[in-house]
Amino acid sequence: MFGVAPADRGGRGRRGAVFALGILVVLGAACQGRAGDTSSGAAAGSGSAAPTPLVVGLGYIPSVQFAPFYLAQQAGYYRDANLAVTFENKIDPDLITLVGQGAVDIGIADGTSVIPAVSQGIPIRYVTTIYAQFPNIVYAKASSGIRTAADLRGKSIGTPGKYGSSWIMLEALLASADMTPSDVDVRLYPDFGQGTALAQGAVDAATGFSNNEPVVLQLSGTPVNVLHADASVPLPGNGLIASTATITAKHAALAAFVAATLRAMQEIKADPAKGLAAAVAQVPDLGKDQATQRAILDATIATWTNANVAANGYGAIDRSAWAATVSFMAKLPDGPIAGTPPTVDQLVDESLLPA
Amino acid sequence: MTPRALLHDVGPVALAAAAFVLGWKLLVVVAGYPTFVLPAPEVVAQRLVTAWVDGTMEPHAAATALEVAIGFSVGSTLALGAGYLLARSPLAGRLLSPYLVAAQATPILALAPLLALWFGTGLLSKVIICALIVFFPVAVSAMVAVRSVDRQLIEMASAFGATRRQVVAGVEIPGALPVVFGGIRVGATLAVVGAIIAEWAGGEHGLGVLINLARGSLFDTPLLFATLFTIAGLGVGFYLLIVLVERRLVGARG
Repeated sequence: MFGVAPADRGGRGRRGAVFALGILVVLGAACQGRAGDTSSGAAAGSGSAAPTPLVVGLGYIPSVQFAPFYLAQQAGYYRDANLAVTFENKIDPDLITLVGQGAVDIGIADGTSVIPAVSQGIPIRYVTTIYAQFPNIVYAKASSGIRTAADLRGKSIGTPGKYGSSWIMLEALLASADMTPSDVDVRLYPDFGQGTALAQGAVDAATGFSNNEPVVLQLSGTPVNVLHADASVPLPGNGLIASTATITAKHAALAAFVAATLRAMQEIKADPAKGLAAAVAQVPDLGKDQATQRAILDATIATWTNANVAANGYGAIDRSAWAATVSFMAKLPDGPIAGTPPTVDQLVDESLLPA
Repeated sequence: MTPRALLHDVGPVALAAAAFVLGWKLLVVVAGYPTFVLPAPEVVAQRLVTAWVDGTMEPHAAATALEVAIGFSVGSTLALGAGYLLARSPLAGRLLSPYLVAAQATPILALAPLLALWFGTGLLSKVIICALIVFFPVAVSAMVAVRSVDRQLIEMASAFGATRRQVVAGVEIPGALPVVFGGIRVGATLAVVGAIIAEWAGGEHGLGVLINLARGSLFDTPLLFATLFTIAGLGVGFYLLIVLVERRLVGARG
């Protein structure tokens, strides 16, 4: 069929079968390797003197937004808690799978990604709120006249794709004004070029992060209006996630990690310069434009607090917000939740938070 | 084809497939992998059927097939002309060869976002990316094939008064076809890869888009596997189509 000489067909069939099995063996070895990492880590955690190794997954690109982690590492808060922390930078989908698998012990992920992941049976829990305000926003130049969600009707909006946290946020924002995506002109920028498109006037508005694109545009001298979805649906922002197995196996170590990170957040809030210095020490390139990085850090610090955090402290999980988000996502016609929507208890675990 | 010949032809392929599925299932059972890490074959098969029945897969597969068909046609047609020019014009060879090699050495993965930026995320940018990835193997095989045509045959045809067009149609093309089809076979599989890369750079439909959705938004690993099998099926189908055309024009390879 593939132009194989008849005399050689039987031999190639047998070799094909061997080759197919070979692929599976290699695949299995790769998967096994990751599982092995997890068990060895768990074993180390049970020792009394040796520091517990923790692999911590952060966002794809090292950034000033991760300053609390850098500060806690550099100031020795993790070391003092007998933790040996290593950072790995991963994109959200990869991180969630790796955390679920146990290859990464704890990582920062978007709350709206946790819901579909759990609905698909990935055994993870959201354990600490970092971004109390949902960082994904829609922004527009002030000169566009777009000030509210209702102003978006008929306007062009640039976004990376019809999936993920930005898309969920856009749907929530539009729903707050009784609109759906069909009421606006959605333009896709999978290479995340929607910010450039907005700056050049190719779109009227764009999705972005409250602590990134609008800050940079504002700094360049263009006044910006930012629209948040939180007012209509309090979407859970990025926070720390861990697998159920890791929470059980390394509970004390993870709780110590969370406490050390929250301590660093409080210190950075009190003295943002400390956070900027830690970020520059970790990523020297960030030092080239410290004014912009400081503005991004200030905007990041602002997202760490909402009414729930103000009442219950950094890291607190707003269960009612989670319930509202599950309810909202379950109603979406193209929603990412598979089967029966998960309960809040299946999504969050507050046992690692300081008492 | 007699049943015995069919068994002889298809049997080894079926045996290899059965061994693969059996090994896969054993791996899942013995290692106890959860579905989100490595779904069992029957889970993937069920998801594949569901995705086709409920209409999830069809629009994406149709979009990718269209991109592959147009991109391959455009890329291979241009490549055949370029290959002939490279073979018969030393000047063209000296002028174009370095750029051809440089273009091939540049990762298409890096070019795809740029092309999407310049030509949009519609069909055009995907066709261009497919055509680009198909171009090099087909052009090189065409160049080698034309150069390898027996010079004595060409001289003999000319001596019998054949025009240039008659030499090309009667001697060079038939003599070059077996080698050209080697490049076309490679190009056919690469066209599918090109379409998926192009879809990763942007677009609303296509199997590459579905991979991103399954992985990045739905966390649906069985759907991811089902999409990969659909891509593989599309590639195999397209390859077999080329083999059929080759058999018609050249005859079966030994």
